[in-house]
Amino acid sequence: MTDALLKTTYPLFLDIQLGFEQHGFEPFQLTVQQGLSLEGITGIFGHSGSGKSTLLRAIAGLEKKITGSITLNNIDLINSDSNIFIKAEQRNIGLVFQDSRLFPHLNVVDNLKFATKRCKNNRLNFDEIIKLTALDNLRHKSIHELSGGQKQRVALARAILAEPILLLLDEPLSALDRKAKASLLSLMLKVQDELQLPMFYVSHSLDELQQVCDKLLVLSQGKVIGYDAIHTMIHQLNYSDVTSDADDIIHQQTSLSLPITTLDNGQGLAILALNDVENIYLPALDESFTKETLRCFILASDISISLTEPINSSIVNHLFVKISSIDIMKNKVLITAISVKGKIEQEFFINISTFSQQRLALNINQQVYLQFKASAVRTYLY
Amino acid sequence: MINSDVLALLTTLKMAALTTLILLILGTPLAWYLAKMRSRFKVIIEAIVALPLVLPPTVLGFYLLIAFSPQHLPGQLWQQATGQQLAFSFSAIVIGSVLYSMPFVVQPLQKAFEQLGDPLLEAGAMLGAGPMDRFFNIVLPITKASFITAASLGFAHTVGEFGVILMIGGNIPGETRVLSIALFDHVEAFDYARAHVLAISLLIGSMVLLASIYLLNNPRKKTMNKAKR
Repeated sequence: MTDALLKTTYPLFLDIQLGFEQHGFEPFQLTVQQGLSLEGITGIFGHSGSGKSTLLRAIAGLEKKITGSITLNNIDLINSDSNIFIKAEQRNIGLVFQDSRLFPHLNVVDNLKFATKRCKNNRLNFDEIIKLTALDNLRHKSIHELSGGQKQRVALARAILAEPILLLLDEPLSALDRKAKASLLSLMLKVQDELQLPMFYVSHSLDELQQVCDKLLVLSQGKVIGYDAIHTMIHQLNYSDVTSDADDIIHQQTSLSLPITTLDNGQGLAILALNDVENIYLPALDESFTKETLRCFILASDISISLTEPINSSIVNHLFVKISSIDIMKNKVLITAISVKGKIEQEFFINISTFSQQRLALNINQQVYLQFKASAVRTYLY
Repeated sequence: MINSDVLALLTTLKMAALTTLILLILGTPLAWYLAKMRSRFKVIIEAIVALPLVLPPTVLGFYLLIAFSPQHLPGQLWQQATGQQLAFSFSAIVIGSVLYSMPFVVQPLQKAFEQLGDPLLEAGAMLGAGPMDRFFNIVLPITKASFITAASLGFAHTVGEFGVILMIGGNIPGETRVLSIALFDHVEAFDYARAHVLAISLLIGSMVLLASIYLLNNPRKKTMNKAKR
């Protein structure tokens, strides 16, 4: 193994200048030229066939027909000009696959030991990782006895125990039910918090990515169409063609991380501070919730606009905003508005029909009220 | 002095064991290569490996006899290297058996490697396992049953070989006289009693071996074991 890949300095910097071409029945081309500073969890989003898994496999060293280069902290993982190709087993990069890929001839603990036996660092404590990933009761179970969620937990623990410098996750939740997905996402966040291991998380579910990622890279038809902080990137996607291609998968939305003021106000609501004067209400959270901020999103279709303050309404959230843009998209309108009361400006995205837009005669810079129910403030995890 | 039939049995077991060992050593990488090969030439190599399944043994034996003779290059090279003639030797019947039993070892292994595919090997690589590590710690344990099947079929087929051995080995006691040749000798000499003993022994031996393979690969038994766990 390349010694430099055993102990590396964080943050990692990954520079990708690659081309990949697949001929035949389903021709496909991937071209990525992107520098990425990897801290926390970086999401890769794209629809099927956008090239996200191919990109991940290229970084992992499982895709050999690559032209160009990938360097990790100035170490060439691949450089087709200099004929450099560091094999997957020598890159010290971990990968959790969509289908867990546990070894069927080994039980849970032996699958985990497969990783530790080949680990050159051995800095992590085996029992602590078992505890962290809640696998203590499954230690001696056969792989065939595990549920899908349990298998992915073992696969995650196995990947961590190999002590990689970067962990890649290729749609690890796609085969799981909603409950198992939420549980594994929470586990990923816990692992990231405790181990500070940079992760690349590939998914075609924006809801999942919104909950865990710090940054987001968006691929479409083999090309990078955006890379930014998670909320900024999700907001940029509201204007993108990517959304209109697959309206059933992603929806225009306002993505937020807000400090929690009250978990339960005794009247069934939790309160988040939008700014120094305005709050956002959502259904009460469990008292055991320990985080100080909450990631949530509000679908653009769940927010409505009123020209006067809707004080005589059961809808609890109303915010005073200024319209910053009006974009007509097919038969609906995307309104972008900015909160005006507090010191921090927050963008909101609202979908209304062209009928409503004309009836209210909305204009840019016009000040209006937004209203949305508490239940419209969604969070994938909690 | 050892009974000639016992001597033939020992020669047969020695030949079959050596052939099986050589076939596992040579056949494993060949089966691996064929399982992973994407070239259009794959079918040609597969056809060559499978040829002994359809070719009359005497045809293979005839060409090997010519090749092993001191007048031709393989035979000459052997003679130069060992100082002994290759045709009508124990080495000749082992080489002939390796070629003749090749498909019985290569095909089950190729099928097992194809079924295994790349996913688990990629998982192994991502955990730091190199190619040999992956082979011995992932491929071998998972395809163990196919290795046993391949070895058993290779062994059983070699034990039952007649045509090729008769052509390239002749009938030299302790050297090339194997059970099938000894049986043929007894029939020629109208010694049906001794022929019966050899024939029934070969029949029962083959039957036991095949039944063991099928028992090992019985999906019902595997399911029952899994359920017990």
